[in-house]
Amino acid sequence: MERAKQILEDFTSRHGLGVALYIGASVFLWVVFLIVLPQVTMIDYSFRHNLPPSQTGGPEDVHTLANYKYFLFNALDVGVLIKTVLAAAFVTFLDILICYPIAFILAHSATGVAARLMVLGLIVPFWINEILRAFAFRVIFGATGLINGIGIGMGLWDTPIDFIRADVALYSSLTYSYILLMVFPIYNAVEALDRNQIEAARDMGAPWWRVHWRIVLPVAKPGIASGATIVFMLTAGALAAPQIIGGPSNLWFTQLIYQWFNEASNWPRGSAYATILLVTCLAFVLLLMKIFRVPIGAIGR
Amino acid sequence: MSTSASSGRGFAVLYTLLFFAFLFGPLLIMTATAFNSSSFPRITPWECFTTEWFGVLIGNDRLMQGLATSILIGVGVVAISVPVGLAGALALSEISPRLRPALYTILITPVLIPGVVLGISTIVFWGKLGRTLWGPTSTFFLNGIFLTIAGQVAFISAYAMLIFSARLQRFDPTLTEAALDLGASPGQAFRKVLLPFLRPAIGSAAFLTLLASFENYNTTVFTILADNTFTTALASKIRFGTDPSLSALAVIIIALTLIGAITHEAYARRREAMLGGPAARSALYSNPLGRIVVHPATICALLVAMAGMAVWKGSQYDASACKTRIIEEKRAIQERLLEEQRRRLRQQSVPQAPAQPATPPAAANPSPFGGAFGNVAPGGSAPQPAPAQPPANNPSPFGGAFQHLGPGAVPAPATPSAPPPPSPPPAANPSPFGGAFQNIAPPP
Repeated sequence: MERAKQILEDFTSRHGLGVALYIGASVFLWVVFLIVLPQVTMIDYSFRHNLPPSQTGGPEDVHTLANYKYFLFNALDVGVLIKTVLAAAFVTFLDILICYPIAFILAHSATGVAARLMVLGLIVPFWINEILRAFAFRVIFGATGLINGIGIGMGLWDTPIDFIRADVALYSSLTYSYILLMVFPIYNAVEALDRNQIEAARDMGAPWWRVHWRIVLPVAKPGIASGATIVFMLTAGALAAPQIIGGPSNLWFTQLIYQWFNEASNWPRGSAYATILLVTCLAFVLLLMKIFRVPIGAIGR
Repeated sequence: MSTSASSGRGFAVLYTLLFFAFLFGPLLIMTATAFNSSSFPRITPWECFTTEWFGVLIGNDRLMQGLATSILIGVGVVAISVPVGLAGALALSEISPRLRPALYTILITPVLIPGVVLGISTIVFWGKLGRTLWGPTSTFFLNGIFLTIAGQVAFISAYAMLIFSARLQRFDPTLTEAALDLGASPGQAFRKVLLPFLRPAIGSAAFLTLLASFENYNTTVFTILADNTFTTALASKIRFGTDPSLSALAVIIIALTLIGAITHEAYARRREAMLGGPAARSALYSNPLGRIVVHPATICALLVAMAGMAVWKGSQYDASACKTRIIEEKRAIQERLLEEQRRRLRQQSVPQAPAQPATPPAAANPSPFGGAFGNVAPGGSAPQPAPAQPPANNPSPFGGAFQHLGPGAVPAPATPSAPPPPSPPPAANPSPFGGAFQNIAPPP
């Protein structure tokens, strides 16, 4: 409390009382009412029974582990969670592979108009609604879609290949959707690299892959970590794309949450599943950051 | 050395082209499907050029109501999250370095929390707060628009904060100090020095937050409750059946985006020329006509006019003639197929009749489906054994008609019109279907 008062006084002396109050109140309301309390309430909720409104607060409204037990003893749902995390990691990896070269080209080869056009070209697809992006992949990969149409038309195969059941459509769409969020962090990191270092390495006879491995990648690492974290979290938490082009028998974990919440009206269990998703994803990200030795402050830069 | 550099350059160009093909390919394909009259969005086969899907899109009440809700929510989110994001960025930039990482972690988490989780936590929290304040049956806060704004502001403010932080890092704090030394009050220094410096960032933050709010699905689909925003209405439309009016929507969004992007590019170039010194500036101003033509406003107006022209032309276009032709063509194809089938039927029954008595049963085709299932895919359910018949009168009404049948569509065997004679000896013909299933894979 002392410290908060001191910070407020600091701000007052710099910007005046009005501004200091505005900053303090905004940040306080944001952090407390929009970030911390909702999460705490959700976690509390996940430890409760699903009771009708008349019994909430009554003697039966006690904490319980039933919702988590239900998840743990449900091999199907655990499988869905594992599949979601692995698939999201796979999509993230694909995005790194696709975006690293383009970020490097954008930072060090493209100049002037070309660079500006590339940036525009990267941003424009990102303005199209996420739903429509998934829809585009349905048009391409559907049973009567473009690829099947061409393949059958050319006689390559004669019964439509079910790309949607095979999740090809889903992974392509997710990879596509978050490209921008991978390119820009890597670009920001790589741009800081002094071009002379690359020239020096080349002059000393390093092949191109060693230049990248020893010089560019270490500089790009925080950017890659930042982009990968964002892409992984967004992919694992994606709901629209799996709903639109996910295979009928292959659920994404967010769809389970959606079902508990909106179709089964079991809010506590939905909260428990949401908590499980949150904790699993955060743990996975922190684990990878530990393995690759990246500080958390690198995210979002 | 130089060859390796030029091959690297070639690779870079090739990779860039491939990359942008991947980025724009899906959008181009979707754009094309908007103008195909086929009622499922596709390019192959191409039927008719049509503009009717735009009309279908505008006639969709649910989407249009969702659009109104989305705009309302978007305005609310921008009005809250831009000031909140600015406050967050200011707090971060001026808090003591020891506390900064902690505050940064707290403020950045909403970006990382899955949208689904944010949506759920928002409903659960506000529902509970309402019940705590106004009794167990209260639904005071359970209003879709309010909850959606609360849920979206939680993370969209962080986007705004990141934009402001990037701009603040380039701010020279001595400017504020100079203003204070010259007698400005702290409030004046804030309003007259810091805010003007941040103005471009305020613009881009407002734009980005509006876009993020409009596009958001994961959080909104929970917090909107029984209501609908544009995006959730769109998603439910796609989930329960698609038609090319969605592609038409994509065309509209892409067109708006391109107009905005080109105008922005013109603006950026003009500003660069203006800042580029007298030579560049005079090149811009020397020709009065050129000066008007390259002005961003002119370019934007031209593009808008072109788009309006396209809309007007499109609304005049009538695809009904072409569509009737397509229907005619389809009918003609069907007629032809039917005719072919009839002919095949006749050909089959004519030569078989005289050869009948001489051939042994195995060579003949004793099935009532005479050759009908030649193309049945493996695994297709075969009909139950039908009474075998002498092929003399090949009485099947299906003769040759089902060559294109898929699995599962096999009709029940027809009742033979003639009394069945005794089956042929099994040794000669073990199957009642004769050679009808020659293409069927042996059962596993």
